[in-house]
Amino acid sequence: MHNVLIIDDSDINLTLIKALVLKLGDCSPTLFDNPLNALEWCRSNVPDLVIVDYMMPDMDGLKFISAFRALHGRNEIPVLMITANDQKDVRYEALLGGANDFLTKPIDRVEFSARARNMLSLRTGQKFLADRAEHLSALVEERTTEIRDREKKLIFRISRAAEFRDPETGAHIQRMAHYSQIIALGLGLSIPQQKLILEAAPMHDVGKIGIPDYILLKPGKLTHEEFEVMKGHAKIGHELLKDSRSEIMKAGAEVAISHHEKYDGTGYPHGLKGHQIPLFGRIVAVADVFDALTSERPYKRAWDLDAACKFLEDGRGKHFDPMCVEAFLAGWEHVLEVRQRFRDEEMPQI
Amino acid sequence: MAGVFVLDKALILDRLGGDEEIYAMMVDMFLQDVDNTCDALAAALASGDATVLRREAHTVKGLLATFSDDAGAAEANTVEQLANQGHLASQAEAVAGLLQRVREVAAVLSTG
Repeated sequence: MHNVLIIDDSDINLTLIKALVLKLGDCSPTLFDNPLNALEWCRSNVPDLVIVDYMMPDMDGLKFISAFRALHGRNEIPVLMITANDQKDVRYEALLGGANDFLTKPIDRVEFSARARNMLSLRTGQKFLADRAEHLSALVEERTTEIRDREKKLIFRISRAAEFRDPETGAHIQRMAHYSQIIALGLGLSIPQQKLILEAAPMHDVGKIGIPDYILLKPGKLTHEEFEVMKGHAKIGHELLKDSRSEIMKAGAEVAISHHEKYDGTGYPHGLKGHQIPLFGRIVAVADVFDALTSERPYKRAWDLDAACKFLEDGRGKHFDPMCVEAFLAGWEHVLEVRQRFRDEEMPQI
Repeated sequence: MAGVFVLDKALILDRLGGDEEIYAMMVDMFLQDVDNTCDALAAALASGDATVLRREAHTVKGLLATFSDDAGAAEANTVEQLANQGHLASQAEAVAGLLQRVREVAAVLSTG
């Protein structure tokens, strides 16, 4: 059913046009003898066709069309303007102002029907395209969500693959990722950035895949040479992830290469200082170290929370970005929640 | 002064796609509203506002054209155009003629 809006200050014209609209079939006319009231109605209703007289008190047809077109989502709705035969200038102005076609007085039924049907066909086409666009947009959104979900799962599995070769656990990945998000929140980063670091942080140690087992799994202290090899995991992780078109992978590459840099320039692989270190790297450094300290490993006991916090505080401006430490400690309640939520479980033996 | 109004119902019906129902409805409305139409036109002249006179003359032009009164519509058009140029007081006679024309058309329609 097409909703046809008719605006004319003359009752006889309103009645005539209404009768003609009803004869078109599948149309529901809405009548206004005052253009201002019609405009108000248009704020909350969307007609399929507007038929408006030119000469009316309060607001003429040209001004009505202009105001109507200015309403959100009303710029493509067909408008037929009724003019007298001798008003050529008005018709030019109306065309430029957004009228789609004209009806001349006295109204001729054949002409009226043809023009009104054309306009309604146009509207039907518009609605079809809009529905189709909406349908396609929803489909793309659905597929994109699926792809992003798969990407996230894949990233988690890649991260787990690296962690499986390491004494660390899947819960470590979850905790350090959520700690990173808590710091990002405390630093005032946007919600998309908070989400991005949550998803990218798990990839910080993915480069460990490229470290030989005799070094990675060595129970004792690494020799200088072995540690040099171990340090290579930052660059390997970056190499693995850097060329991806995925925002998460790109952020993961940045985290991988920079999470072992230290604020005072004594970290690796590049010895970057302060804000030379990418922000995500500075954030993950705090999150990763805190979780490593407070987790039990086959080769060490878990530090208590006070000692771990003291380590972070002592490391301000040396190992860690002071702002990141501050943001982490400011979110302490959330830190405890994350610890509670992601507790270590017994890992399957490889 | 336009000549006598002769109702050409066939012509009007042709324009309305032969729809007698719509024709009858329009005649009824014109007759019901004729006093208001004339009052509004007279008041427009008395108001001293040429814009108002222009608008009312335009309305009358449309009404007369609806009933295929080309001569009456032409008279209304003259009043409308002159009012558009700001002429008001000089149009008393033309407006009186137009009022008479509207009444004449109403009289013919009421019998026809």
